[in-house]
Amino acid sequence: MTAAILTNNLTKQYGTLTALGNLDLQVRQGSIFGLLGPNGAGKTTLIRILTTLMRQSSGEAFIEGNDTRSRGRDIRCLIGVVPQENSLDRYLTARENLELHARLHKMDAARYRQRIDELMELMGLAGRQHDFPDTFSGGMQRRLVVARALVHQPRVLFLDEPTTGLDPQSRRSVWEYIRSIAGSMTIFLTTHYLEEAELLCDRIAIMDHGRLIAQGTTQELKARLSGDTLYEIEFDGETERYAALLKNMACIRSITVKGAVVNVGLEHWECLSEVVSALNGAPVRRISLRERTLEEVFISLTGAGVRQ
Amino acid sequence: MKLQGALAIWRRDMLVLRRSVLSEMVAVVAYPLTIYLAFGIGMKSYIGLVEGVPYSLFIAPGLITMTAVNAAYSESVWSLWFHRRVQFTIESYRVTPVSVSEIVVAKIFSGFTHGLVKALTVALVIFAITPFRFAPEHLLGYLAFLIPGSAFFSCAGVICGTIMDKPETIGKVEAVFIMPLIFMSGLFFPLSSYPEKVIPWIRALPTTALFEGARQALVKGSFSAMFVLQIAGMALITFVAAVWIFRLKMSD
Repeated sequence: MTAAILTNNLTKQYGTLTALGNLDLQVRQGSIFGLLGPNGAGKTTLIRILTTLMRQSSGEAFIEGNDTRSRGRDIRCLIGVVPQENSLDRYLTARENLELHARLHKMDAARYRQRIDELMELMGLAGRQHDFPDTFSGGMQRRLVVARALVHQPRVLFLDEPTTGLDPQSRRSVWEYIRSIAGSMTIFLTTHYLEEAELLCDRIAIMDHGRLIAQGTTQELKARLSGDTLYEIEFDGETERYAALLKNMACIRSITVKGAVVNVGLEHWECLSEVVSALNGAPVRRISLRERTLEEVFISLTGAGVRQ
Repeated sequence: MKLQGALAIWRRDMLVLRRSVLSEMVAVVAYPLTIYLAFGIGMKSYIGLVEGVPYSLFIAPGLITMTAVNAAYSESVWSLWFHRRVQFTIESYRVTPVSVSEIVVAKIFSGFTHGLVKALTVALVIFAITPFRFAPEHLLGYLAFLIPGSAFFSCAGVICGTIMDKPETIGKVEAVFIMPLIFMSGLFFPLSSYPEKVIPWIRALPTTALFEGARQALVKGSFSAMFVLQIAGMALITFVAAVWIFRLKMSD
């Protein structure tokens, strides 16, 4: 099966600044792929190259097998783009915005009218379709941009930070819409919200300073964090003594103490039985597995927190 | 080049013009009409005949032409700047199968149409409230100047709207280049008023070919093929330049 998106050694340079460096990426058809990274990581540059808005300095990029350098028009027939800025035409009504987009895609009036009716319903904008976007809330404007990108039924949908600047409620509603259309097309989403990537994406790539640092499913990324498994052990007393005991065990890679709670990182989950044996008779109130967060993965890979 | 996309963008611009046509026309008519009343009527008794015609008739064709080219330039420059820098709609066009050339052609035609529509409005108002008249058969010759003239200014507007990122720069260019080009070309006075040595330079201006040629065509029915070729050539050159510059800017 052809990959929906494929890049080989993709590089973009602005003078001496490397915005993208030898990026290799493969996105499966029909999946939701999340590109995670702080501002300035190169996410938007990558999207601009993939959507043919910008030319790479070197390397290759393909959308559904079409080379971005030579098949730009073919690619633009296949893609829908939700840019960071709303880019809605404030002098056209919501419906007229969609109609213009359909005409630019050379759709027949009969076809696009029906499609726009469906999308207006889907996005909950049917009652406001003859209003101007300026009168919409941020969330509604965002939904309208998503609807515009879907008019011509694209095979690949690019969402560049689709929820940036939205309040939590609007953000959740955009997430719901994205999930509702998942499966019918490939979705390539960039974000700097870790929760968004974790919630929506089948696979995630993390990039920083123009380079891909890691990619995989959320679980794979968490698992490869340092190969260890984290447990929280809460004691009813003598916490320091038992922490010292655990610290000397070979299969424990890391240990931190916070009050009555000891966090231990095990080499692998099989070590847990050794730990339980070692703590035989100790006043243990609770042992629980602690899930790694994507932010921890990010910090461990980049050495810094997510820059907003 | 397929023009289906260009037509879609042009239709969008015309829809927006139609929506705001009343307020647009009031603003468009006010400026040339004020000039006509102030100069044409106010100065008439002091100036008398210019090149054998009353002063109010001498300046009327120029005011109609000025409206057309000003509107063509303003629409192109501001529309392109606004859609590129404020509303980001140019970017939303560029992720559709429409080519960059189609976008620029659409914007040039929109400016051109604005120019013609607004010139027609001003002409109708001038006819309605002033004694300015011309022989209907002169109209064709006049349009031979007005159409390439509007196209030239529309292309110039597209170039400025493409290369200028700050709105204040657009205003400065208008004040330093566009208005002097219009006013120096004999809009309010005959070219013979210039010193002998300066006249060849003034005649070389594309706006002189436009304003002088248009006036002679409308008022006297004389047709200067040289002037038409000059303005049509300039329109063609600026069209090629506008497309090239826009493509270059978009590939940045």
